[in-house]
Amino acid sequence: MPLLEVCDLEAGYGPIRAVQGVSLDVIEGEIVAIIGANGAGKTTLLLAISGVVATRKGTVRFMGQSITGMPSHEIVRLGIGHAPEGRRIFPRLSVRENLELGAFCRTDRGAIVRDIEEICSLFPVLGQRMSQMGGTLSGGEQQMLALGRAMLSRPKLLLLDEPSLGLAPIVVSKIFEVIAGFTARGIAVVLVEQNARAALKLASRGWVLETGRVSLFANAETLASDPRVRDAYLGDA
Amino acid sequence: MPALPPHLAMISLEFFLQQCLIGVTNGALIALVAMGYSMVYGIIGLINFAHGDLIMLGACLALSLVGASGLVDAGPTATWWGVVLLLLACGLFCGTLNMAVDRFIYKPLRNASKLAPLVSAIGVSFIFMNVGLFWLGPADRSFPELVPPTNLFSGDTLQFTYQDLLVVVVVVLLMVALSVLVRSTRLGRAMRAVSQDPTAAALVGVDVDRVIAATFFIGGALGGAASVIYSLYIKTIGFQMGFQNGLYAFTAAVLGGIGSIPGAVVGGLVIGLVRSLASAYVGERWTGAIVFAILIVILVFRPEGLLGRRTREKV
Ligand SMILES: Nc1ncnc2c1ncn2[C@@H]1O[C@H](COP(=O)(O)OP(=O)(O)O)[C@@H](O)[C@H]1O
Ligand SMILES: [Mg+2]
Repeated sequence: MPLLEVCDLEAGYGPIRAVQGVSLDVIEGEIVAIIGANGAGKTTLLLAISGVVATRKGTVRFMGQSITGMPSHEIVRLGIGHAPEGRRIFPRLSVRENLELGAFCRTDRGAIVRDIEEICSLFPVLGQRMSQMGGTLSGGEQQMLALGRAMLSRPKLLLLDEPSLGLAPIVVSKIFEVIAGFTARGIAVVLVEQNARAALKLASRGWVLETGRVSLFANAETLASDPRVRDAYLGDA
Repeated sequence: MPALPPHLAMISLEFFLQQCLIGVTNGALIALVAMGYSMVYGIIGLINFAHGDLIMLGACLALSLVGASGLVDAGPTATWWGVVLLLLACGLFCGTLNMAVDRFIYKPLRNASKLAPLVSAIGVSFIFMNVGLFWLGPADRSFPELVPPTNLFSGDTLQFTYQDLLVVVVVVLLMVALSVLVRSTRLGRAMRAVSQDPTAAALVGVDVDRVIAATFFIGGALGGAASVIYSLYIKTIGFQMGFQNGLYAFTAAVLGGIGSIPGAVVGGLVIGLVRSLASAYVGERWTGAIVFAILIVILVFRPEGLLGRRTREKV
C-alpha cells in the first residue's frame, strides 16, 4: 500500500484550474520529484495535498485513510510536513520559536528539545542564531530553518516546494545532502524543483507537470535521459 | 503653604500633578479598550468597529447584575468580591459575544475582500447599539457607587481615590497577564504565528480558526473588564457610550501602532494625558480637536505609530 495516493486531483483558484486530474503515489521512505515550468501547478498540488487549497475533485489518501477535505492542521498531525514555497518562516519570531512551532502538534517536550539539538547539529548556523529573529536570516539560513521546522513535526512524508530556489550553490548542495538523508530516517519526500537535474538524481521516480496535468511519469533515470525532459527542463541543447 | 489664589491655581505643581494622575487613570482605561482593537487587528487585520459597543453591552450587563444582586448595600468585603465577580461575568459575556460575532459573521467573510468584514463590523456596531437602547432605555443611567471615592492621599492637594486605584490595578494586572500569555504560552506563540503568516501556521499544525476565535474571546474579555471599570469609574452609562470611547481607544491603538499590544498601552496613556492636560489648561471643548491634531502630526512623521513596525519584512 502506498504511503500517499493522489487520485485524479483537481484544485484551483476561482476560475483558474491550476491542477486538473493529477494522480501520483509515494511509497514509504521514497523520494519522488515533481518538475515542471513556472505556473504548471506544482505548488497548488502540494497545497491541495496539505489541505490549504481546497480539492475540487478527486481524492487524497494517506496511510490508507482519506484526507480529502481535511483541515491542514489535522493533516500535519497525521504525519505530512510541508516546507512551503518561499520558505515562509515567521519573520518576527526567533529561530528557536520557529523551530518550536514546528513541533506544535507534539507534546513530548524532552524529545522536542533533543530534536531541536539534532537540527542544530545538522545546520550548525541555526544553532548560532537561536535567539535571532527569523526575518533577519539570510535566504539560505531561512531555507534551513524551514526544513528544520518541517522536520520537527516528525513527519512520515515531507512536501518540499522548491527548497533550492534562489540559493547559492554551496547552500544548495547542503540542502540536497540533508534531503538525501531523509530516506535513512524513514521520511518519504515529494520534492518540487526547478533544479530538475538535482531533483532527479535524488528521486527514484518523477512526474512532469504541464499546465496542471501530468505529461510524463517514469523512473528518475528514464526521465533524466528522456529527450523531452532534457530539452525543456535540464537545459541541454 | 498658603493656597494660591484661584486664578493662579492652574500654574501650581500640584495642579499639574493632579491632571497627570487623572490622565494616567483615564489613559489606563483607554489602553484596556485599545488592546481589544489591537489584538483583533493584529490577527486578522480587521478594524473591529463594534468593540466600543461591545463594551457598552458589558456595562448594561454590569448594571443589571448590580441591580439584581443587591450589591449596593453589601458591606465593603462583599463589595470587593462583587467587583471581582462582575469583572469575571462581564469578561465572560463580552468574550463569548465577541467570539460568536467572529464565528457567525466575520469567519464566513474570511476570504472576501477586506471591506466586507469592515462593513459588517459597522453593522454589528449598530445592532449592539440597538440592543443597548432596548436594554438601558434612551437616557443615560447612573451606575451605583460601589467603590468608595475615598482619597488615598492625606490632605486634599492631590486626589487619588480607591476608584482610581481600582482602574490602575485592574489594567496593570490584565496587561501583565496578557503579555505573559502572548509571549510565553503555547496559545500566545500560535497567535503570533497566525498574525505573521496564517498559512505557514496551518502548515505546522496550528488550528488557525481556533486561534482566531481565542483572540476574539480574549480581546472581548478585556473589553468586558473595561466595561466594569468604566461603569465604576465614570458612573454614567448610556447606549451611545461605545461610540466616543471606542473612537478614542481606536485612536490610541493607531497612535501606538495598531497590532502592537505595548503600543496600545503607550497610545492609551498619551491620549489620556493629552486629554486631561488639554481640558485643564486649554478648555474642555478643545480636547477632541487637540487629541486628533496631535494624532495627525504624529502619524505624518511616523505613519506606523509610536511602537508600530516601520516596514513589512521582505519575503
Ligand atoms: N493564490 C493564487 N490565486 C490565483 N491564481 C493562482 C494563485 N496561485 C497560483 N495561481 C495560478 O495557478 C497556476 C499554477 O500556479 P502554481 O501552482 O503556483 O504553479 P507552480 O508552482 O508550478 O509554479 C498559475 O497559473 C498561477 O498563476
Ligand atoms: Mg511553485
